[in-house]
Amino acid sequence: MADYNSGFQIQERGFLKKLDWNFIIPVLTLHVIGIINLYSATHGMGAVQTDKLFLSQVFWLLKGWIVFLGVTLVDYQFFLRAAYAIYGLNLIALIAVKFFGKVALGAQRWLDLGFFSYQPSETMKLALVLVLARMLSQKSFNLGMGLKDLAFPLLILIGVPFLITAEQPDLGTAMMLLIIGSSLLFFVRIRRAILVALTAMTLMVATGAWFFGLRDYQKHRIYTFLDPARDPRGKGYNSIQSKIAVGSGQILGKGFRKGTQSQLEFLPERHTDFIFSVLSEEFGFLGSFFTISVFGLLFMSMIRIAAHARDKAGALLTVGVTATLFWHMFVNVSMVIGLLPIVGIPLPLLSYGGSNMLTTMAALGLVSSVSYRKYLF
Amino acid sequence: MSDYLPSDEIEAKDYQPRYRLLYILLGMTIVIFAIRLWYLQIVNGRELRQFSEQNSIRETKIPAPRGIVYDRNGEVLVENLPGFEVTLSPQYIANFDETAEALGIALNIPPASVLLAVQKSRRMNGPFRPVRIKENLTRDDIFNIEILKQDYTGVDIKETVLRSYPMKDNGAQFFGYVGEVSKRQLPLLNEKFAAKGLRFAQGDLIGTSGLEEVYDLDLRGRDGISVAQLDAHGREAFGDPMGLLGSMGGVTPASPGNNVILTIDKDVQEAGWRAFVDNERIGGAVAMKVNGEILAWVSAPSFDPNEFSTGIAPDTWRRLVNDPDKPLRNKPIQDHNAPGSTFKPFIAVTALAENVITPNTVVSCPGLLKFAGRPYHDTLRGGHGNLVVTQAIERSANIFFYKMGIALGIDKMFKYCDGFGIGRRTGVELSGERSGLMPSAEWKKNTIGEEWQPGENLSVAIGQGFVLTNPLQMTVGYNAIGTEGKVVKPFVVKRILTADNKLLKEFEPQVLRDLGDMKGEYHIKKEVFKTVKEGLRLVVNGERGTARGSRLKFIEMAGKTGTSQVMNFSADQIYSSCEARPKYQRHHGWFIGYAPAENPEIAIGVLAEHSCHGSSGAAPIAKAMVAAYVAKYHPEWLDRDVRKKKEAGQSTPAESSAPIIDGPIEGE
Repeated sequence: MADYNSGFQIQERGFLKKLDWNFIIPVLTLHVIGIINLYSATHGMGAVQTDKLFLSQVFWLLKGWIVFLGVTLVDYQFFLRAAYAIYGLNLIALIAVKFFGKVALGAQRWLDLGFFSYQPSETMKLALVLVLARMLSQKSFNLGMGLKDLAFPLLILIGVPFLITAEQPDLGTAMMLLIIGSSLLFFVRIRRAILVALTAMTLMVATGAWFFGLRDYQKHRIYTFLDPARDPRGKGYNSIQSKIAVGSGQILGKGFRKGTQSQLEFLPERHTDFIFSVLSEEFGFLGSFFTISVFGLLFMSMIRIAAHARDKAGALLTVGVTATLFWHMFVNVSMVIGLLPIVGIPLPLLSYGGSNMLTTMAALGLVSSVSYRKYLF
Repeated sequence: MSDYLPSDEIEAKDYQPRYRLLYILLGMTIVIFAIRLWYLQIVNGRELRQFSEQNSIRETKIPAPRGIVYDRNGEVLVENLPGFEVTLSPQYIANFDETAEALGIALNIPPASVLLAVQKSRRMNGPFRPVRIKENLTRDDIFNIEILKQDYTGVDIKETVLRSYPMKDNGAQFFGYVGEVSKRQLPLLNEKFAAKGLRFAQGDLIGTSGLEEVYDLDLRGRDGISVAQLDAHGREAFGDPMGLLGSMGGVTPASPGNNVILTIDKDVQEAGWRAFVDNERIGGAVAMKVNGEILAWVSAPSFDPNEFSTGIAPDTWRRLVNDPDKPLRNKPIQDHNAPGSTFKPFIAVTALAENVITPNTVVSCPGLLKFAGRPYHDTLRGGHGNLVVTQAIERSANIFFYKMGIALGIDKMFKYCDGFGIGRRTGVELSGERSGLMPSAEWKKNTIGEEWQPGENLSVAIGQGFVLTNPLQMTVGYNAIGTEGKVVKPFVVKRILTADNKLLKEFEPQVLRDLGDMKGEYHIKKEVFKTVKEGLRLVVNGERGTARGSRLKFIEMAGKTGTSQVMNFSADQIYSSCEARPKYQRHHGWFIGYAPAENPEIAIGVLAEHSCHGSSGAAPIAKAMVAAYVAKYHPEWLDRDVRKKKEAGQSTPAESSAPIIDGPIEGE
């Protein structure tokens, strides 16, 4: 399997051949599903500017592919080298949001750049993956990471953006940063004793956060997750409506643009966070299981790319990106089907949103670049 | 490519088993999701499908038209007008500025007002409630909008049912108005009407004053229900786009409210209102049949209740509330004043019934009476000379009644005046009636904590002091004099009919007390009433009657004028010209009476505020109402001339041998 030692194939393989189609085809499939679905979600009754939303997403998608191909062609080593700079700039942007950001939905998350509203916490995920891949690949942890090894990546690299984002307050994204970063640390392996101690600490911190750190609306989300029916028109509304939408799809679904929950706008945020319930309602168990499976295939191909990567940094980078997308998918789908409380996490590749689409495609581009360059040796 | 970052090859190989772990984790996730989806979509699918269908189907209320209000002869007084209004549904509008511009031109209103209305509605009702742009569309408006609808989305013409008051300002306080139930009122109303099985929702119409309020339960119908497909914002879908409604879809029509037939006569009402408006009078007036049926109920100035039907503009409301003439007050039962000289007939009845005087007792009435060291003036500087009671009433001689007050004392005056209904709620079925006040020694002790002073008897005897009454109470009291003892309960609703005019309820006249019942508490003799009635007849028809200016050729009206001081003036000011004073310092004028003088059919009470005199301010209004009544119900009388017949029988001062009460009667 150690392809990375057999060089000289660079002359024999063309660009298209060097792309990993096992990886690209699931992405394309998800995009097609996403576009069909978004059309339905944005063309409900009485929706305004539907074509504008839909078309802008199509443009984002095209831009996303340009970014993807561009990043593929650049050696990922370049990005790893620039990892600290990218991370640092991103951190500055994150802090800038605190002072210059605009408030939307009760939180300051966006920087208005005039031509473009930029959400630094979104790109922070990718910057974190980059900087962790760089940092972790430069050292050897054959015995697993000790306390000293963990201090810098956990407290500084992950800790600082986590705190800033949690402060915004955007607990969903903050938790995401923590989960993505920890996933990489886990992958690199942490010593067992420390793992136990960390788990105990996390539990304590979580308890403390519940009583002192969480804002009321964040607590409400958790409460209503536990018992959504107690206030169906209020906080539990989204959760219940989403479950109804998914369940009412039954086996074959209600049909394209026939989903009453989504077409009649009982579903909130149906083109962003709840896009999966639109899909489940209109295409039923078959459609939703198919989509989950495509995600599964995508992640499998990404794990394969990591396994075949030329170097440790490429492997860690791919694992990091895979973790990022996986956890997004996991949290989003879980929340839509009522396994987790409602948090504002979009479904990668399917949800509407330019920032998210570009970041996702750039991340996938990095993976593609890793895969592209396994042939270099 | 030599400058690659250092990489630990051995450690990278160690990763291989970890990838297997990742595959397993991924596989487990997919399985968990699949199980959950299977559970939701296949196990619970049917149930959730049903739920999703109920979710998007909602019942909307079709407001029931309120009952129609007719006058006693079937003339429509309050009705519902089908109208058309233009609404904008903001969520369907592509370009606000263009739409506003186009609407502005089509309806001839400034486009800015369209945008303003949309913004305001968005703030108050959220973004999905259709915004009313203009109501009561003309045929041209509708035509213009129909054309405009082709090019602009979100513009709709809606049919409306508007509560309509064709008499406009006339009787507005009486009929009341309707308004939408506000968020604040809602819990209170639901609590109040829970026992009756009524539930109100925000935006429901409810009678908020006057008849509309009192008879709301009768007038309001049962709202209908339209089952339609709605979205999560409560917007009604067009048609049945999802094919979900099936047999559930459709409309249960609203059942209209009950119709109400009033005792009011539109023409008498109109005459009373016109008399107020044409003379620019402020005040209240009531005309009542002797059995208690209210014929007219006027309160001026007034307001247009139609403005409330469409949601009153805040500045109109502010103007109404701040108007010093209080157009929102129902003056016949809410404005209480001293009755002044109109009180004297009650004192006359009391004095006759208590045998202080006989019809023939001559009382000397100088211009000034000293009592307990204080001077009491007559309005006539020189005094009236010697008078019998009928003359004293005719000329409204203060000194005569001062002497009666001294002779009677407060307890006796209270007994009779209270019997006539002064200081008591009449029980008319309109909200906001207040009782007024007939003072007694006991009352004063209990509320003020002071003993009754003898001097106060004098004030009460001429309707000043603590006495407070309103036009309706006075009318009921005079009606009792006219009918020789019958104190009736005034009422305004004769019958309640269903929407298809089947009789539901009928209201009968009620006599509350008969003061002339010889076995009753008061047992006032017929002779007493006859004497006082003669005095009241003379007020209008006598040579020196104070309301002579308002007599009618074809009917003998009886009554009494009065003035109620708004402010206290010193002795020299009493004679100063009232008209010379600022408006709000002028006296109120009263006229209370009935007609015909002999066998009355209707009683009338008029309070003309700040009109200075009862004779010139109030009596002409009563005259107009009586004339309208006769013209309608006794047109054959219009040609007769009652003056000639009666002229011969004009009373002359009695120079009889009856005892003369002279000077202060301090011994009594």
